[in-house]
Amino acid sequence: MIALESLTVRFGGLVALDTVSASFTAPVSGIIGPNGAGKTTTMNVISGFLTSAGSVTVDGTDLMRLAPHQRSRWGLRRSFQREQIADDLTVEENLWAIADNLSGSRAEKRANIATALEFTGITAIRTKPGAALNTFERRLCDLARCITGDPRLIMLDEPAGGLTVEETARLGGLIGAIPGLGRAQVLVIDHDVDLIQRICAETLVLDFGRRIAFGPTAAVLADPAVKAAYLGIEVEHA
Amino acid sequence: MQITRSGLVGLILAALAILVLPMLAGGQWLKIFTSTTAFALAAMGAGFMYARLGMVSLAQVGLMGIGGWVTLRLNHAFNLPFEANLLIGAAMTSVLGMILALPALRMRGLYLALITLMVAGGLEIIFTAYQFPNGGDGFWGVGTSFSATMRRPFLGQTDAGFLRYALVVALLGFLLIEGHRRSASGRAWALIRRSEAAALASGVNVTLYKTWAFGLSGLLAGLGGGVLAGSLGLLDASTFRASESVLLFALVVVGGARFWLGAVITAVLYRVAPGLLNNWGVDADLALVFFGAALLHAVITAPDGLAGQIFGLFSKEAAHDRA
Ligand SMILES: Nc1ncnc2c1ncn2[C@@H]1O[C@H](COP(=O)(O)OP(=O)(O)OP(=O)(O)O)[C@@H](O)[C@H]1O
Ligand SMILES: [Mg+2]
Repeated sequence: MIALESLTVRFGGLVALDTVSASFTAPVSGIIGPNGAGKTTTMNVISGFLTSAGSVTVDGTDLMRLAPHQRSRWGLRRSFQREQIADDLTVEENLWAIADNLSGSRAEKRANIATALEFTGITAIRTKPGAALNTFERRLCDLARCITGDPRLIMLDEPAGGLTVEETARLGGLIGAIPGLGRAQVLVIDHDVDLIQRICAETLVLDFGRRIAFGPTAAVLADPAVKAAYLGIEVEHA
Repeated sequence: MQITRSGLVGLILAALAILVLPMLAGGQWLKIFTSTTAFALAAMGAGFMYARLGMVSLAQVGLMGIGGWVTLRLNHAFNLPFEANLLIGAAMTSVLGMILALPALRMRGLYLALITLMVAGGLEIIFTAYQFPNGGDGFWGVGTSFSATMRRPFLGQTDAGFLRYALVVALLGFLLIEGHRRSASGRAWALIRRSEAAALASGVNVTLYKTWAFGLSGLLAGLGGGVLAGSLGLLDASTFRASESVLLFALVVVGGARFWLGAVITAVLYRVAPGLLNNWGVDADLALVFFGAALLHAVITAPDGLAGQIFGLFSKEAAHDRA
């Protein structure tokens, strides 16, 4: 269980998160909301990149007490809105860069990395340098990084950004299958409501830093407040 | 461990240089090549910091001065062999490099460069005020009419032997960096270069790996300074001015920081080119104009420097990265 308790973050006068609480119990859950709603800020708090009032507890561990790199060793993985593949490293080395910081034998790590590459379907390009990857390969490599080393919590910030409809569908299938791999619970941010509806059992909706809805995805999406705040903006775009 | 094509060429050339260069070169050239090798060691340090971590260090020649100072100081104070003096000098430079890194750890880009430049300036002032030990009394070891002998390594008593010795030290320095690059440190550095957030999210202890990079770069500068001290026997403060550190860094960019060949080109440009121009009757200051033009060229059209272009001629993919 991922328990967020009264998270509050201010940037100068701007309240980016305003006493946001939510307890995610589903294997895959979503966070949605319009631009600037505070979705990425929430992930940054859980990662430890921002300090916040309130608490973050995952499976009984108080994450606020760990430094950012210690959270990763504990089992936190995340991807960023802009993918963060090291251009100097091959696909495989990008995964090793995470495994390096975990405990366990080399053989275990090698087997684990092989599984992650196989799961995401990028075994064939494992020796390709990061700089030579296309957008989809980068997103897949990012996902493979996130499932390296038996994680407990995986956070994906707009994992389908820049992908075609078919690619998004394939990525969605992979994300949905992550809980079958081990103990990890997954949090996904995306603007693609179809994707969220497909893979997330629970969803948190933020708007202007406030929680405007939380619960089973279908119920949340039917909520009039959500329609007004979030889907209304979608309609404006269209 | 896998050896790449450019790595293989490098090893063969290094072996050739170690065997042949000291036999071919005579007189003054032996000393010039030895100091070129010393500066190549320092250039390697600045180069890998720049290419692998994206950090600009403008104090590298100043740090060479520290290595040289400690090596000379130990030589005149105790009866230790050259190796011990060289290694202690390099280790102390490394520690100093790490300490100097501490205030710089939270800074990036231009601010980091400015901090290192201030360090270079501070070192210049200290060296100018206290000079380098020459066998005199006291802590600073500077006497007016002293010129105590600098002991050399057993295998490098002659100038030719010492050049060979310096080349071996430089080769070991290259291998040290290459070994790091291919291990967990290299992967951590690559992530830090991508972004610190990405590194932290991958569990990399950013402070530790950055400090270690400064230490390694300092170690190479210290080795370079010690080798220079062993070659010349005396060091002069003017060698280690802050402007020299800036020039060396500019040439690292020109030479190409990602490749072993880059450090060689950097050192040759730095140490040999001005002398050659002088021999040909061209004003050595004109070298700075050439370097400036070359720097512009590198920044605008050749991000991997001359070494990148040379490897690019031989292989279409080599220019990419895997040097
Ligand atoms: N480091 C920062 N300094 C100042 N303001 C910030 C900072 N990071 C985010 N903000 C502001 O906080 C608010 C929430 O930003 P956040 O990135 O969490 O939005 P988001 O929900 O992820 O939006 P998007 O869908 O556009 O990614 C925005 O108004 C943003 O401008
Ligand atoms: Mg965002």
